[in-house]
Amino acid sequence: MEKKQYNPIELMACIASRYLEDGRLIFAGTGIPMLAVSLAQKIYAPNLILVYEAGGISPEASMLPLSVADSRTTYRAICCANMPEAMEMLQKGLVTYAFLGGAQIDMYGNLNSTMIGKDYWHPQTRLPGSGGANELGSLAWKTLIIMNHNRRRFVEKVDFITTPGYLTGPGARERACLPPGNGPHLVFTELGIFDFEEKSKRMRLKSLLPGITREKVIAETGFELIISDKLNQEKEPTPEELKALREDVDPWRVVLSRGDNDQ
Amino acid sequence: MTNKVRIVFAVTFPRGKVTEFTGTEGNEMEILDQGNGEIFSKITPDEFRRHMFAKAERVNLDKRMDLREAIGRFIKNGDYLSIGGCGFVRLPIAFVHEVLRRQLTFRMAAGTRTFDVDLLLDNDRITELDIGYILGLEMLGIPQYTRIHVSERLSRGDLKITEWSNGSMAWRHKAAAMGVSFMQVRSLAGSDTFRHSAAKKVKCPFTGEEVILVPALYCDACVIHVHRADKYGNCQIDGMLNEDLEKARSAKNLIITTEKIIDTKEIRNDGARTVIPQFYVDAVVEIPCGAYPTNMPGLYYLDLDHLKVYTRAAQDRTGENLKKYYRDYVFGTKDFNEYLEKCGGLKRIEELKKIELMEGRV
Repeated sequence: MEKKQYNPIELMACIASRYLEDGRLIFAGTGIPMLAVSLAQKIYAPNLILVYEAGGISPEASMLPLSVADSRTTYRAICCANMPEAMEMLQKGLVTYAFLGGAQIDMYGNLNSTMIGKDYWHPQTRLPGSGGANELGSLAWKTLIIMNHNRRRFVEKVDFITTPGYLTGPGARERACLPPGNGPHLVFTELGIFDFEEKSKRMRLKSLLPGITREKVIAETGFELIISDKLNQEKEPTPEELKALREDVDPWRVVLSRGDNDQ
Repeated sequence: MTNKVRIVFAVTFPRGKVTEFTGTEGNEMEILDQGNGEIFSKITPDEFRRHMFAKAERVNLDKRMDLREAIGRFIKNGDYLSIGGCGFVRLPIAFVHEVLRRQLTFRMAAGTRTFDVDLLLDNDRITELDIGYILGLEMLGIPQYTRIHVSERLSRGDLKITEWSNGSMAWRHKAAAMGVSFMQVRSLAGSDTFRHSAAKKVKCPFTGEEVILVPALYCDACVIHVHRADKYGNCQIDGMLNEDLEKARSAKNLIITTEKIIDTKEIRNDGARTVIPQFYVDAVVEIPCGAYPTNMPGLYYLDLDHLKVYTRAAQDRTGENLKKYYRDYVFGTKDFNEYLEKCGGLKRIEELKKIELMEGRV
């Protein structure tokens, strides 16, 4: 097989960076979400207002922060705020996008980042927990999710709902007393892009990544996917995207190098 | 006898419907749903008020002392503790090292904890934990040994946890900082995070809508590392504030470790910069580079090389390499200065300063 010119993390960051509407307020979690948003700011959406949960608001783009709290998040920022303020911005409806990762996801976009295993008190693997994810997924208008795609991650039922997606389907968020009108918007993986079908709130394959077949996506998904009638083919990462990602966003490959083994 | 007053509210629902309902004595707020998590800090608003009244007598003291005296006087084994900074910013690592050497054990608030709480968890220094975010070192991943060790302690019941989120933890600190007993939040609903928290769902007595309440979190002790403080404890912090202002205002005892002690004249020249005023503070400890190897905005960047020394050691599932890390860097050093020397001393700090000021690479 021909060696690809990019690794899966580079691929996902490039693709996701194309889907952010400029001029909106956005929260991004550490890791690949931050890569995608930083790249979007360089190329497609220079006026995105990036808010970090620890309080950094709209820093001037410099280098990639290693943490949602490090001085890169306040470098020439418009405001050095605090955690309650940042979270209350979400709660008050100011924030359009929340960009998250997770260890497991189900067909309704419910996310697990707390523990793997059948028994909460005897975890097979304990994970960090919600962090800010529960607030991001509960309170932003549109949740964007980015994660690796395989049957261990795309599962029928997540072991723990850390962050609510559409829970059990239409109306479930509202019944649980979450604010109305928001929820998971798009999911980006190294295989495809997914949205959520309007009526059922179930995950739908919307676009295939370069060289990927729908059969491959179905095979790597542990639940029944809806397939869009108008299935798109996503374009390869462009040289411009890859150059900005490698030279400006993460020049020391702190996050990008994590994808090197999977190339 | 009190007069029985019947209070009647007229409420306009967001949907436009007008409803009347009453709030009278004897009408208990009905709990519609609740998490099964334990509340670890039992401190009540009135207990906190009494403590603060007594504390106010010390408001004008010169509170400078060394770290050992501060810990000896204001922190005791078994305390419910909160720590300032978050992620990799302003973590009071000098304090954490001293705790490891003294083998103190705590119950803890853990919204966005990284390296600090991993050090404490590796060494079994925590018995009860309110979790927002633990274990992960964000971009650097999760240390294997720490993760396995925590999973095993959970299975054995050695470590008790209650699940929260960074926002709900920040709001719990905020409610306590306000001196009240709970806060309404709009997150947590519908999730297993709620199920394993100690939050409750009730009907709002004003709007009639279902809302989530979280209990205020009053702490026995809090330790925060700041850029500058005067001898009374008036503090200035550069950069983001995380939930440090709320933590400072909701702990019975507050130890400030500071890069530098400054004259009170400087504080008075720019009072708007005082984010923690002296009346909350019990001890002021000068520890230059006290947040190393984490980031002090404007002064030094985090030391990625040293953090990688830790994470590499923690990849060894047996814990042997990590034991050596602790021997070399904590238990084999007499104080924080010796640790700094081992990590490259002033020369390394100068390099980290250049990186912080965007003059060099990580």
